Amino acid sequence: MNGRKLEGPAIDFAGLSPLLALLGGAVVVLMVGLLRGRAAREHGVPALSFATLAASLGLTIWQLDSSEELVAGALAIDGLGTVLNILFVSAGMATVLLSWRALAPRESAHGEFHALLLTSIAGMVVLAWSTNLVTVFLGLELLSIPLYVLCATEMRRATSLESGLKYLIVGSLGSAVFLYGLALIYGATGSTDFAGIAEANSAVGLSSDPLMLTGIALSVVGLGFKASVAPFHQWTPDVYEGAPTPVTAFMAVATKAAAFGIFLRLFDVALIDSATAWAPALAALATVTIIAGNVGALGQSSLKRMLAYSSVAQAGYMLAGVVVTSGLGVRATVFYLAVYLVMNLAAFAVIIARERETSLGDDLAAVEGIGATRPVLAWPMTIAMLSLAGIPATGGFIGKFFLIDATVDGGYAWLGFVIVIGSMISLAYYLRVIAAIWMRDAPAVAQSTPVPAGPRPALAGGSPEGDAGPGSVALGAESPPAQAGAVVYGGEPGGGKAHWEVALVAVLCAALTVAAGVVPQPLFDLVQRCGDAFTNLV
Amino acid sequence: MAIEWYLIVSALIFSIGAGGVITRRNPLVVLLCLELMLNAANLALIAFSRMHGNGDGQIFAIIVMVVAACEVCIGLGVIVAMYRRRLPIDVDELRELQG
Amino acid sequence: METTAWLVLAFPLAGAILIGLLAQHVPAKLTGYLGTLAIGGAFVSAVLTFLSLQGREEEARQVVFVGWDYARSVGVDAQISILVDPLSVLMILVVSGVSTLIHLYSVAYMESDQGYARFFAYLNFFVFSMLLLVLAGNFMLLIVGWAFVGAASYLLISFWYRRTTATKAGIKAFVINVVGDVGLVLGTYFIFKHTGTLDFLGTFDSVERDFEGSTGDLTAGCLLLLVGAFAKSAQIPLHTWLPDAMEGPTPVSALIHAATMVTAGVYLIARMHPLFEQAPAAADTGAIIGAVTLLVAGTIAIVVTDLKRVIAYSTMSQIGYMIMGVSAGAYVAGLFHLMTHAFFKALLFMAAGSVIAAMGGRQDLDSMGGFRKAMPYTFACFCIGGLALAAVPPFSGFFSKDEILLDLGAEGGWHWVLYVAGYVGSLLTAVYTFRLIFRAFFNDPVPEAQELMDGHLHHPAEAANPATGETEDTDVGFPGADHHIAEQSPFMRVAMGILALGAIVGGFIQIPKVTHGLESFLDPTFARSEIEVEPSDGLIYFGLVLGAVLGLLGIAIAYRIWVQKPGTSAAIQARLSVLHKLFSNKWYFDELIELVVVRPLSWFGRFGQQTFERIFVNGALVGGTTGLVRAGSAAVRAVQSGYLRSYAALLLGGLAVVGFYFLLQA
Repeated sequence: MNGRKLEGPAIDFAGLSPLLALLGGAVVVLMVGLLRGRAAREHGVPALSFATLAASLGLTIWQLDSSEELVAGALAIDGLGTVLNILFVSAGMATVLLSWRALAPRESAHGEFHALLLTSIAGMVVLAWSTNLVTVFLGLELLSIPLYVLCATEMRRATSLESGLKYLIVGSLGSAVFLYGLALIYGATGSTDFAGIAEANSAVGLSSDPLMLTGIALSVVGLGFKASVAPFHQWTPDVYEGAPTPVTAFMAVATKAAAFGIFLRLFDVALIDSATAWAPALAALATVTIIAGNVGALGQSSLKRMLAYSSVAQAGYMLAGVVVTSGLGVRATVFYLAVYLVMNLAAFAVIIARERETSLGDDLAAVEGIGATRPVLAWPMTIAMLSLAGIPATGGFIGKFFLIDATVDGGYAWLGFVIVIGSMISLAYYLRVIAAIWMRDAPAVAQSTPVPAGPRPALAGGSPEGDAGPGSVALGAESPPAQAGAVVYGGEPGGGKAHWEVALVAVLCAALTVAAGVVPQPLFDLVQRCGDAFTNLV
Repeated sequence: MAIEWYLIVSALIFSIGAGGVITRRNPLVVLLCLELMLNAANLALIAFSRMHGNGDGQIFAIIVMVVAACEVCIGLGVIVAMYRRRLPIDVDELRELQG
Repeated sequence: METTAWLVLAFPLAGAILIGLLAQHVPAKLTGYLGTLAIGGAFVSAVLTFLSLQGREEEARQVVFVGWDYARSVGVDAQISILVDPLSVLMILVVSGVSTLIHLYSVAYMESDQGYARFFAYLNFFVFSMLLLVLAGNFMLLIVGWAFVGAASYLLISFWYRRTTATKAGIKAFVINVVGDVGLVLGTYFIFKHTGTLDFLGTFDSVERDFEGSTGDLTAGCLLLLVGAFAKSAQIPLHTWLPDAMEGPTPVSALIHAATMVTAGVYLIARMHPLFEQAPAAADTGAIIGAVTLLVAGTIAIVVTDLKRVIAYSTMSQIGYMIMGVSAGAYVAGLFHLMTHAFFKALLFMAAGSVIAAMGGRQDLDSMGGFRKAMPYTFACFCIGGLALAAVPPFSGFFSKDEILLDLGAEGGWHWVLYVAGYVGSLLTAVYTFRLIFRAFFNDPVPEAQELMDGHLHHPAEAANPATGETEDTDVGFPGADHHIAEQSPFMRVAMGILALGAIVGGFIQIPKVTHGLESFLDPTFARSEIEVEPSDGLIYFGLVLGAVLGLLGIAIAYRIWVQKPGTSAAIQARLSVLHKLFSNKWYFDELIELVVVRPLSWFGRFGQQTFERIFVNGALVGGTTGLVRAGSAAVRAVQSGYLRSYAALLLGGLAVVGFYFLLQA
């Protein structure tokens, strides 16, 4: 170059430690997965990956109050980063528990499954810390690419592969659009750094520059895709339904948190001076999202699909917190993300438990009558549904209240009204689940043992490629491959038994949901840190 | 040469890629088209990098190449798995999940 | 003190939850003891709280304990906080003390009922709600407690849920209580709008400043609070639920409809006195309604023939005294009467329960008589309660009622009308109380009483609803098979004995010119009150003598009519048939409400349903909306075709629209 000595960037390894723990853990888990011993693979790997996440959580909490540059110009830690990290890692820990004895890691391979999970979380961490367009893109892809694979891990089930490929193609399309948007923003401002972009934006006055505006439009679409904002949400129901349920649970909560984390960073920091251009557009998208998500969820019989549409609607609510560009909006969004995490995990845990206990899969029929037979699962599901609907004394109510308050405060009162309308519609499908739990009798076919003609024939049938994992072997022979590839749910290795760790996740998350509704102050205090990260906002 | 020309070429490539994603039914070709879109962005990044006279865009482009390679790997892996399951290699046949 | 104050709430709540969870796993009997213990624990905690409160400086006797902030961040200071001061401590002492005894009574009284555990779970939940109501340190918790109390009362009134009259009574009570809840919430809104805080002490501190120039809002707010108070305390015109609520089991009547819930309105007015003192119009309204209620209820009580309903009307009348007192500034006196009334009225209900049990479930006064020898213990308790209610010296009711009227008389002005009304009511009280005693316990023993003297307990051939005569069984949802009367159950005897003691000596803590226990205890709460009255000696002695004379006169009249010359009653009825008809039809209040509220509303409702709703609401609004939502759902799901390429196309289409929008800004 021109005689200038290149200096390596200053790297704060202590600050990076949560990320390093995750990446190191991923490598170790991958190696341990190669061991011959079955116990090492089936229990050692999940245990190690849980320990990795716990270590990462500990390291995150260790530097809860730090706010500094980690890698010059690329990553920085602040309140939002740490709080989101806690959410990612907690979701990861729940996912490890939920997938411990699930089918997916058995079919793919334990080492790979957990290594991919950890890598995806590492991607989220990078995303939450990033202060630069390059790291944003890198983090986004690091989180997405492992997820594409994770969706397809139940390899003998056609829908799992289908969901993987769909997610991959539409996801890559979203990424490409996002990338092009980032390129245009870089072109307009000459910087990939958030601070640099904001500076150039306010100094030169780019708010009417077509290059900049197109860049923003493209990145709105790209991020909207990741956060399941309508009309870029269409992958969500299909992928959520097809993916193995623990993976769906992880995607639903962690990806959403990551996407909104970067939404807040990119729009409320780097592009804040163009707010007049993008805020109305995002508000319109939020409205479309709330309506599309809520009406789409009506009448769905697959619980996973219903929750997918519900997650679309919730994305719309949270987008309102981004639109208002205020510290209150940031706090409300992060608060809702945290509540959303626990209530959704509770619901998914119950679905997983019922998938293993019955042959009905994730159909609504699987939870019918569990109020009488399985109160340990019925209550968490009920609480989760009430909270998602926003009934008082649950975290969901406080979260929604907070968001509506932010919209009214930020001059978008009509958007708050849309949130209320959306919640009203949403009652129709949430209460339907509660009614099924408490007011119906358990269907006769409920308790497992392989049923040749279940209500979902598409998923019945065995695998032509014999060996996959112990326990599921028997089925392949029993039921003729009516349609190529799939597994009878009832034949899961659990043998129709409930696993304590799944019930634990359900109960714990439900308890946290209620706690957030009754004693919300600690969560408010935690979320306060995120607002502090945005010094440029009111 | 003015930056506009680079941008026009880049936009054209991006559009060709996008069009291909919408029209082609073979997932392999779809992956190819996605590559086109990513590389269109790369072209734009490098052009801008040149325009602004800083290296950020070039670093970005190199990272994008790595990511693109990963994506294709994964895509091919999934397609191979589907092939082994004797599933049709046609995106229009992937309609088990809908509604 | 903080711990014990919270424990007051924690015990009943834990009791309710535990009983609910354990009900199916432990013997039913245990749940009764558990419930009683829980409330006993609350009482002990209340006593400890009282002691440590007394250990403080007089200025430091209003303490707010914040459990946690519920939602402080969004413009509202909603906290989970309790206010411990002499007023709330007096209330928790009375509530938990009387509740403990009633639980003890119920352990025996409800023994054969199939819903035993459920009964105690409800009862504990009720006590929790009531304690929450009186301990609440801000409007939010007050509203929560207020609504919980209404719900618990509904559950308990309809406890025998297969009895149609009971469920109807429960619904009526609930509906009227909700009217009150709405009043309370709206009133709170009017007040919060100006003060910007939900906290009681914060509100009171700045009343004058906050409402400067907008006393209209304050008056409106206080009137709405009064609506809440009237609904809970059964004051005209929101009183019609209370007599019907006697469909609930007798311990429920004793607990909710005598000692605790119906006094919530009195508590509310006393608690909000800094507001009412700034809104004299609202306070006067409260006082006048109280006076009217006490007279109207007194006249009805003279002619009603249902044993429990007589006591219910008497309750209304006595609450009228309290509402009149606290509204007119006689706070200590009103609360004093609240306390003594809790003792003797609960006692009367318990004794009445004993009589009803001996009658095999029937409550009709006409078929009762001569129980004096059959149930001497019950008779003694009934007499003590009756003497206290009729305000005969030296029983507790004498001092407390006298105190209210004394203060009113001393205030002078137009309050002398209330003063006179109070003494007229006093005569009525003595007459109806002793009408009850003479008719139930004197004269010749009825067959049931005779049977009891012979050592048997009367059992009807088949169980029936005493009000309608419909046959019933004794399974869950109906009263149990066996009836328990006080003479035969130590638990019931103990509970009644303690209350009888309270009814006798309860008045001694506050005797004019002699003791000032309650007044000095409550002083910190009412320190900021601007109403100071100092009755003259002449008024004091005149009042005491007049009260005693009226009480005794009433008893004499009752004796003459119902014992000496048993035919007199019929003769009077014949001569004053118009009045009798008016009274025995309860002043036609049910009919009036039917005519003024229910009929127009149901006409409006019919119109609404048949015309407005069918065409506009169902056709256009609901049909249109659901149609729209359905269509939307169908559209969203149709677009979700499963075709990957269409997803990609929609994504790019959306991109085009968004991009176009953004480029428009350029």
